[in-house]
Amino acid sequence: MSPDLTNASDSALVVAIGRWRQDALAEAYRRHGGAVLALASRVLGNRSQAEEILQEIFLRLWDKPDRFDPERGSLRSFLLADCHGRAVDAVRSDSSRRAREDRQNAERAEASYDLEREVWDAVVADRVKEALDGLPAAERDAITLAYFGGNTYREVAAMLGEPEGTVKTRIRSGLRRLRADLSEAGVGEPS
Amino acid sequence: MKHSQLEDLLGAYALDAVDDEERVEIEAHLAICPRCRAEVQAHREAASLLAFGGTNAPEGVWTRIAASLEEPPPDLRLIAARDDRRNPARYWRRLALTVGAAAAVLVAVLGVQVASQDRRLEELQTALQDPLVPAFQAALENPDSEVIEMTSADGAVRLRGAVTDDGVGYLRASALPALEDGRVYQLWGGAGDRLISLGVLGPDPRIVTFRAHDYSLFAITNEEAPGVVVTANPPVVAGTTA
Repeated sequence: MSPDLTNASDSALVVAIGRWRQDALAEAYRRHGGAVLALASRVLGNRSQAEEILQEIFLRLWDKPDRFDPERGSLRSFLLADCHGRAVDAVRSDSSRRAREDRQNAERAEASYDLEREVWDAVVADRVKEALDGLPAAERDAITLAYFGGNTYREVAAMLGEPEGTVKTRIRSGLRRLRADLSEAGVGEPS
Repeated sequence: MKHSQLEDLLGAYALDAVDDEERVEIEAHLAICPRCRAEVQAHREAASLLAFGGTNAPEGVWTRIAASLEEPPPDLRLIAARDDRRNPARYWRRLALTVGAAAAVLVAVLGVQVASQDRRLEELQTALQDPLVPAFQAALENPDSEVIEMTSADGAVRLRGAVTDDGVGYLRASALPALEDGRVYQLWGGAGDRLISLGVLGPDPRIVTFRAHDYSLFAITNEEAPGVVVTANPPVVAGTTA
């Protein structure tokens, strides 16, 4: 591994990927692959499917590095958004309607979200856990069921027995609050 | 949807928690509204902070990735992108089909003729109620835009659109027959010998907008809802920028 790459910014890595540098892709994988895999695992509940998504996300970065615009956001959030979209597509197309309803019934029972679930194989940063705990329960539940559960806001509304408009608002205000709390705490992305 | 209704959906959209029809409408709006784009990006940054970076990326998956990486083809022509001219500080290597090669492929496969930029604009009577009409017309009339014309193999269905100088594509797709329940149209851009999805258009699209990137070759297929990653279907219509 060339020393210049381990110290390079994420933007510089993507420029290098655009110049066909495989070692730059490897470094991006080393930095962000864990987070991508962890998110895919949590949404899919299935490690081998999650690994396929992980592979796809980095191949997509290799094929079209120009989809990433450093002025729009961090590479981590770009990769996680790409991963999340693919994982949710997989969840929604794989499941038969019955299996999806069963899953939603189970999640409804766990609507008060428990961060100690054994299905996670990663350590959650304490500050992030505190931020999530710092959200009003209604906002935390809406965001958790939508983001990690792969449910649409309509499905979340049905699961929680709340109006759809309420769920939309809670997701939006919860995300704003999360971002404000976390920037106050100094949690940010390494460039 | 009114702007306030679109705004209400931006949090859910950023978490991939909206219906496909809502997603298409939101993405069309994001193409033309920087403030909403910025809000979506802020929500995505917040969501990414929920991700946990504690796991190591597995070596086995990297091995499979490395094995799939293609070497740059020796006869690749590098064509400077529009973005590079606008912002020379950024340098991206891009792949692009030459229009001539793309047109030759389509003529051979579909008997499609490449549009002439001298074609006069059609009347847009019923489209006057569509909020995308002014942007669509502006794109078509702008001399810096590239006109797109897409046709079916038998020439019966013709769609017209344009790609603006900053890479935003507009397409009037109302000539496509409405699809039955459970089916949607999906738009693709050609890259090498692969088609890359540019978005799901729903079962009965009117004017659609999309990021055209560097694609000069476009196709629309009929897919099972909510769309696919890779298509196995022949194009319903296809075409290129002139």
